[in-house]
Amino acid sequence: MGSFEYYKPESIAEAMALMEESGGKGVYIAGGTDVMVLIRQRKLSPGCLISLRNIGDLAYLDTSSGLAIGSGVTHNAIAKNDIIQTKYTALADATSKVGSLQIRNIATMGGNICNAAPSADTACPLLVLDARVVMAGKNGERSVPIDEFFLGPNRVALRPGEIVKGFEMPAFNERTGSAYIKHTRRQAMDLPMLGVAARVTIRIDGDQIGCRDALCGIENISDILKRFEDEKLVCEDVRIAMGVVAPRPMRAKKAEGALKGRVISEVLLQEIGEIAASECQPRDSIRGEAWYRRDMVKVLTKRAILRVVDRIIRPDDTIWPERLW
Amino acid sequence: MDGLKFVGKRIPKKDAPLKATGEAIYIQDLKLPGMLHGKILYSKYPHARILKLDTSRAAALPGVKAVLTGADVPNNFKFGFMKDNPPLKSGKVLSTRDEIAAVAAISQEVAEEAIDLIDVEYEELPGIFDPLEAMQEGASLIHEELKSNVLKLPWKFVHGDVEASRKDSAFIAEDSFTTQWVTHCCLGTSGCVASFDVGNNLTMYSNTQIPSLAQNDFLEALKAFGLKNRRVRIVQTTIGGGFGSKLDTYAYEYIAILLALKTRRPVKLVFSREEEFLATSPRQPTITKISQGCDKDGKLTFREIEMVLDNGAYTSWGATTPSVMMVPISSLYKVPNVKYTAKCVYTNNTYSQAFRGYGNPQATFAIESCLDQLAEKAGVDPVEIRRINANEPGEVTPQNFRITSCGMKECIDEVVKRLDWKNKCGRGDGRGVGMASLIHVGGAARVYKSDGCGTIIKVDDNGKVDVITGSSEIGQGSDTIIAQIVAEVLGVSIDDINVINNDTDVCPWDVGVHASRTTFVAGNSALGAAQKIKAQIMDIAAKTLSEPVDALDMKDGVIFSRNDKEKNIPLGKVLRKAHYTLGGRMLVAENFYDPPNENFDQTFRGNLSVAYAYGAHGVEVEVDRETGQVKILNYVAAHDVGKAINPMLLEGQIYGGGLQGIGEPGLVPTAPAIANAVYDAVGVRIKDLPITPEKVLRALKEKAGQKT
Repeated sequence: MGSFEYYKPESIAEAMALMEESGGKGVYIAGGTDVMVLIRQRKLSPGCLISLRNIGDLAYLDTSSGLAIGSGVTHNAIAKNDIIQTKYTALADATSKVGSLQIRNIATMGGNICNAAPSADTACPLLVLDARVVMAGKNGERSVPIDEFFLGPNRVALRPGEIVKGFEMPAFNERTGSAYIKHTRRQAMDLPMLGVAARVTIRIDGDQIGCRDALCGIENISDILKRFEDEKLVCEDVRIAMGVVAPRPMRAKKAEGALKGRVISEVLLQEIGEIAASECQPRDSIRGEAWYRRDMVKVLTKRAILRVVDRIIRPDDTIWPERLW
Repeated sequence: MDGLKFVGKRIPKKDAPLKATGEAIYIQDLKLPGMLHGKILYSKYPHARILKLDTSRAAALPGVKAVLTGADVPNNFKFGFMKDNPPLKSGKVLSTRDEIAAVAAISQEVAEEAIDLIDVEYEELPGIFDPLEAMQEGASLIHEELKSNVLKLPWKFVHGDVEASRKDSAFIAEDSFTTQWVTHCCLGTSGCVASFDVGNNLTMYSNTQIPSLAQNDFLEALKAFGLKNRRVRIVQTTIGGGFGSKLDTYAYEYIAILLALKTRRPVKLVFSREEEFLATSPRQPTITKISQGCDKDGKLTFREIEMVLDNGAYTSWGATTPSVMMVPISSLYKVPNVKYTAKCVYTNNTYSQAFRGYGNPQATFAIESCLDQLAEKAGVDPVEIRRINANEPGEVTPQNFRITSCGMKECIDEVVKRLDWKNKCGRGDGRGVGMASLIHVGGAARVYKSDGCGTIIKVDDNGKVDVITGSSEIGQGSDTIIAQIVAEVLGVSIDDINVINNDTDVCPWDVGVHASRTTFVAGNSALGAAQKIKAQIMDIAAKTLSEPVDALDMKDGVIFSRNDKEKNIPLGKVLRKAHYTLGGRMLVAENFYDPPNENFDQTFRGNLSVAYAYGAHGVEVEVDRETGQVKILNYVAAHDVGKAINPMLLEGQIYGGGLQGIGEPGLVPTAPAIANAVYDAVGVRIKDLPITPEKVLRALKEKAGQKT
């Protein structure tokens, strides 16, 4: 590891000034769980490191209207937040499974997104939660939808010197839920082989007693979906996002279009899975083979939607029946 | 009540507070005055000719004190089991972990920078990464001078007549199984500090698990480097895991020695996590062809195994793992006819080494998977076929192992009971159960000419006891076990025992930490030494108290006469008397214990161990048919352990073994038990480790006639 200057500015303006002074050779560092690894692997040799950890303006977490999270908030702080756990569950799913507890206590969501690895766990949840990325630069703040923020592997829409200030998500109604499924080879300390997130808003016409009963029990997936169909459970709105199956985290927009406004059934979810699989472009890698990843998109899309509906219909249930999905 | 105060008790590991508080000194923590930092440059290609190697820019970097290449290794020195491995390679590289240059510098940072400044030009050559390809006629030679890619090692065991019994068998199961590279992944990465005094005597600070044998290896190296009649001292720091990885000496150690010699300063060379994966020697992959037969009742008739091991580009002691693979092959269950051949084959892969189980897990995976196949063919329940053929006390196996105690059937029964086998087997609903048994050496293994360990005990004036043992502490708990045994014999508190186990200048000889031998061999050695010192103490006490020796007893640090409780004397007083008397004496005892086991003869027969460990593992799994993921719902490990000296440490060994592959015997049957359970759950058999979701799903799709 070479030597470099290390700065700890206390404001965004100060940080940007330091970056300008470095002539673009500086690197912003938040939790450091990606930057330090790159430096030790000698893949990155910054002129200086500019730490964002002491900047109070990046540390907010506001749930008063919708959700606003500062880029400096750690994964563990997000995972433990009650509102996020109930209203933005996909994000809680993702942040609670990144790395180890030690990593989650220091790694920030801003860092996870700016590193823009195809495997970034928080990317899929932000995509389905319609997040906007707020950036601060010399000429003030601007924001873009998260989908426009990812340009490719490790490439994002930040202009030189800009800092991601945070993420904004709208409020969702009571009939909306979300989930993220991380598919890994190990149970812990692993990057996803792939990840699928879904957000669904359902239209509830009756009281859906049959669905609730089915979800409380240990019926198999087909039987549960049969109840959905019988009780005409309509998917009013939907977002589906997939990670590690393309150069950048992506939405499965065709699949979303095919599901929106229709009654959820096994045949339909099967079809949605197939469409999502046809939208992605997985590769063979040491973490998984392409055919398997594509296959898992089909399976996990179905399961993610099922899990979301379960969360909407049984919001207060903490006990989950032992079952595969 | 057996009247024992320490032995058999759940006593926490003596070094646990040190490790839990971070006070333990690992090789990473060690700093010596004037110490330099070494770093190694590895090859960029698995097989290439080095066209140019220019170190001038590295040597010119301020702070760099030495740069070495293959040209700096004196007398063409090579190390390793077949002496085929130069510490620094020149001319040609044979694997990506080939060391081609090394530097010593004033800091780790400067050393790393210097490595980046070394210019190398390669001519890439086609490599061989598959041992079967390496065995083909006309395959290019990894070591041209050896004329063959197959190592000249005699791995062949034959007993009875396999061909005849194959014809007579009612049922035969035949298949091929493969196992993969597995790294030990020690939490404490490999490393050493090499330091010479003015007389060119070497002190090696190391995390080896074989101090006495490493001492010998380094003496040979010094001789080759032109330093005859020097001393080598091995000082072990706290060892952060071994699992067989530290059963040999490695290039980085010889490089550290050469750098220290050149710079006249201590040189520290510690692996990064990446290097630990890249440049240590994993378990050897195997390709196993197996056939087993039984009669119409399920009684085994023969077992034939042909195995190919990927040796990698160089040879470590790991090339002798077939000798331990023979243990289950000849002696797991009663098999009257056995034939086993194994070939170790050079490839351009990383070279392999011993790993917990020493080959036993690879062999047992094939045997136990195939046994389930045979049971199915014969229409016998998997549990029944294991019970019918289970080993028994009093048996002499084809390799002449004399089985004394053997709780194999009891272990199988316990697994059946605890897994609720009868209700859970054969449901085919995505959940299933599987089982596999194990045999392993349990009372040491005479791999070398000696299987011994020495102990020295001295007691001081205050009744404190120093136990100086040859046996290393690598996390298995030998420090605690030895203290328990000595405390029990001497009747002193366990806190009064100080175990010294990390310095060849002080500690007696020991063959090393391997083969589950430490508790048994080092324990017996300590027991003998403790009895000898007790006799000396009692002798003085008897004279002082004017009582016959056999009337005396010792408890809680006081020696008393059983005839007259008034006649007693504290231990400390006896000890002081030994010194403070005219013509006094030192209270020191030594003992060397070498168990009455036997080396193999040329046909690989001999009672390798004085006791054999048996066990059975069972597992219940759930297979996700859509993703191929296997979830372990329940895992039962039943081991015949004899008398546990410390049940807490023993449980640690079995839990750790279970998770790692799932102690040494503990990991042997894990993979086949799970593979058998997957088969029971969904009807597909995975014959190639590891059992990945992809493999399970692909097999499920093939079974259903679908494409992947």
